[in-house]
Amino acid sequence: MIGTQKIAVLLLLMMVLGLSGCVSLAPWERGNLAKPHMALNPDPMQRSMRAHNYGSRESGASDNASGGGGGCGCF
Amino acid sequence: MSEEGKASLNKELYNSNQQKASNKSNGVLQALTSAALVLPGLLLTSAEAADANLDSFSFQYNRFQEGKRKLFTVPNNLNPIQADVIQASGNVSLTDRVKFTFSYTRDVWSGATPVTTAPLATNGNRPILQNSPTGLITAGASPFVNTNILLDRDLNPIRQDPLTGQAIGKDTRAVEILSSASPEVRNAADLGLGYEWNEAALNVGGGLSVENDYKSSYGNVSGRLDFNQKLTSAKFGFGYTSSETSAILDHDIVPYLTRTAFSNQIESRGGSEILHGKRQDWSANIGLTQILGKNSLIDANIGYTYSNGFMENPYKAMTVIFVDPESLNNNLDTPITGDVRALLEQRPNKRNQVAISARYIQHISLLDAALHLNYKFSTDDWGINTNTFTANWIQPFGSGWTITPRIRYHSQDAANFYQPFIFSQQTFNTNAVDVLGRQIWEDAINPDIQFVRDENFNLLDSDGNLVDESLLNVQPKTIPFDGEKLPDSFSSDHRLSGFGTLSGGVTLNKQLAKGIVLQGGFEYFTRQSALQIGGDSGGSFGDFDFYVASGAIRINIEKLNFANTGGGLGIESGVSADSHDHAGHTNNNHHHGGHVPAGVMSGHMLDNAGDFMFGYRFMYGRMGGDILNGAGAANDLEIVSQACSDATNCRFTPTYMRMKMHMLNIMYAPTNWLNLMLMPKFVDMEMNIRELSGRPPPQPGVHEHTGIAGHATGGVGDTMMSSLIKLYETPGHRLHMGLGLSAPTGNVGVEFRRVFQIDGGLVHFGMQLGSGTWDFLPSLTYSGDHKRWTWGAQLNGVKRMENQNKSGYRLGDVIQATTWGGYNLTKWLSASVRGIYTKQGAIHGDFNAFNGRSGPMDFPTNQGGQFWDIGLGITASVPSGKFAGNSLSVEWLQPLRNDVNGFQLERKGALAAAWNYHF
Repeated sequence: MIGTQKIAVLLLLMMVLGLSGCVSLAPWERGNLAKPHMALNPDPMQRSMRAHNYGSRESGASDNASGGGGGCGCF
Repeated sequence: MSEEGKASLNKELYNSNQQKASNKSNGVLQALTSAALVLPGLLLTSAEAADANLDSFSFQYNRFQEGKRKLFTVPNNLNPIQADVIQASGNVSLTDRVKFTFSYTRDVWSGATPVTTAPLATNGNRPILQNSPTGLITAGASPFVNTNILLDRDLNPIRQDPLTGQAIGKDTRAVEILSSASPEVRNAADLGLGYEWNEAALNVGGGLSVENDYKSSYGNVSGRLDFNQKLTSAKFGFGYTSSETSAILDHDIVPYLTRTAFSNQIESRGGSEILHGKRQDWSANIGLTQILGKNSLIDANIGYTYSNGFMENPYKAMTVIFVDPESLNNNLDTPITGDVRALLEQRPNKRNQVAISARYIQHISLLDAALHLNYKFSTDDWGINTNTFTANWIQPFGSGWTITPRIRYHSQDAANFYQPFIFSQQTFNTNAVDVLGRQIWEDAINPDIQFVRDENFNLLDSDGNLVDESLLNVQPKTIPFDGEKLPDSFSSDHRLSGFGTLSGGVTLNKQLAKGIVLQGGFEYFTRQSALQIGGDSGGSFGDFDFYVASGAIRINIEKLNFANTGGGLGIESGVSADSHDHAGHTNNNHHHGGHVPAGVMSGHMLDNAGDFMFGYRFMYGRMGGDILNGAGAANDLEIVSQACSDATNCRFTPTYMRMKMHMLNIMYAPTNWLNLMLMPKFVDMEMNIRELSGRPPPQPGVHEHTGIAGHATGGVGDTMMSSLIKLYETPGHRLHMGLGLSAPTGNVGVEFRRVFQIDGGLVHFGMQLGSGTWDFLPSLTYSGDHKRWTWGAQLNGVKRMENQNKSGYRLGDVIQATTWGGYNLTKWLSASVRGIYTKQGAIHGDFNAFNGRSGPMDFPTNQGGQFWDIGLGITASVPSGKFAGNSLSVEWLQPLRNDVNGFQLERKGALAAAWNYHF
């Protein structure tokens, strides 16, 4: 099960890398991408709160090295 | 902090596109105009889309609330875990390329938390029985961690009748043993600085998180490289966190807790045991963002974290059932007895974690919505694999509204050392015997000296001489269990178990005029072992539900400045605004706000209809040192005999008390003579006490707080609403009146936790979170200015409008008079001196529920008094430029004289700081 997941993610990464060569977008075609709700992190405040919340209740690892210091969560 | 791109450009583009969206027929013009807008900047939008928070200040409140855990055999009357989190943050670009971020977070949590898990048959949650008019009732449960249990030969627990002890039958269910916690507070702050090149970015950040028992400091570096015409971005990050645990072990559980494995990490100080540990975490991540087309992008990341050191939760114990192998293997089939003990949990001191995530974002042109799909897989060498799916649908729907429904599913496997409870085939303690088989005795005071007994039970020393036992405190020498026979690591912390969490929620945003965004959100979670991918691992005893509710306000400076271009606020006002539409607003008055000292509330008005002010006010007060009786210091004997009541002598007295208050100040001027103001408050307080010399002896049935740990409370305070009405204004002189109401949103029923069977009772009057009553807050303020000088005076009061709050008392009324003078040192900096006189009445009524009555802080007569203070303040305000309208004032209040009612801790000083943003 874990093996399949890893392979799937690797495939996804390769797909992304593969795709990078074949897209071309003029500046005026990027209007939708620039909208706030298309941001990678459309709500940074809520995201930091959620990370804090999940960090003290779940055991998943983080994919972001900039998120240190959530506290002990010793409850 | 790390995910931002050419946001300002993006916003321009977005704004221009939004304006043009209404004119769809003119697509060619739109394309050309967009291109024209973009090309002069020579910048394409990065694959990293807009940063939604650039150039903004935000304030957010979150309430986390758990449902009650299941105890199966007894009612659970303990308050479940609840956490109040406030966060203030800012994200501003100092120049086009340099960006600065900061945030401050404060958590307060309290409630019942599992200390361990045990077979249900141990009755670890013991019923608390109380008399009631209908007879004896079960009022709740208290934790009981050391006991015996009957087991069958396969080590299955056997339930016994609680009264007769008769075996009823096999019962393999487990249950969490709950213990309640008094409120605890965490403060955290972090800062970040970023630099943007045309096709790259670099951010550095760091911060500090401080709790009574845990300190953590962290730093990180992250960056981004754009290439392929900014259709592709590569990202990287490194982080380091150093944390230190100094957990004061619960002095009420310590006698029942086996902590031998950590004996060299436990320090004894002031009657408390403190468990120390250090931990370090290194993390790194790389990622790639790729624009797939006009309407979609994908983002993938890999993160790695290495941790070492003390990773235990110092408040969690493992239930170990010790079984004597001799009785287990005696070839009978009768039940055997297990010796149930609680051992501090032990986790490995190393952990390697890897997380892989992918995010896909699709714009749905038909609805102008964005679909965000996330998937994360993580694995570690503790055996925990997790899978997390999240989907958000962000739907703007006109008039500035946006709704975001959200669904999330998380599943994790249990750590390979997780067990609800474990068995060990050895005895917990064995009596020590010497080479001749005689039982060894030792002196409890001096255990190095050993004794044996002869056949007549006489005590003999090692030389065989008779010893006078009356001079000693002898007890059998015991040999503890062999730790090597236990697993290396064990934990019953439910966070390391296998379970799934399913949640759904919605966030609603409303963009108001002038770049203010209001946000409310709610998410409901159900955590169940049956939701784990791959099947239920049998942990349903740990299932619970919880929710998170949030409210936030965000002020977007850039949009405000756009609306107010040239409207220079502050001292220099009137210089730059004359060419603008808003010239009529040319504000010769805004600077009055900047000159009211930070500690004065309702001290200034907005003058122009439509003006807004958003402010954040922080107050800190400290009391400590002597206990005053009136204006003079009292000694311990006086406190013992006079400070409590005729019927009760004092046993304890406070050593210090600290109070912190965070307030939001949202002000709006519907007309030029009326301002409306809303001021929510968030408070936290901390106190420690000491035993008085000459105190009366402890009373049975009353819990006494001992050890070095103080106690804290915190959460939402009272909410003030008021209107300010302009009464008189001529150049240089102004007079306004404030009519305010304080709503009792602060809890006045905050209790100490229950310790075993004994209720902690209500926390002291001064540490409740509000007044508990609706209060009327009138004020009258005069202010004047001439050239560089400013001055003012204010009379204000608090009138309680109810006779008592829900806890049976009401605080005394307050009247305060203050006057100040200030001088503008420069265009942007001014200084002030202020005198304050305050009179507050004593408390009326008394607690209507149990309170420990341990010292002066628990008696209503010891509240209020007359106080004289002097305040020294400075105010810095930004007169022009991007940050025009911002001001920061700080004032220190130094008590000159205290004349208290009854006996109270001396006031040592207070700090008031206010940041205001006026637009």
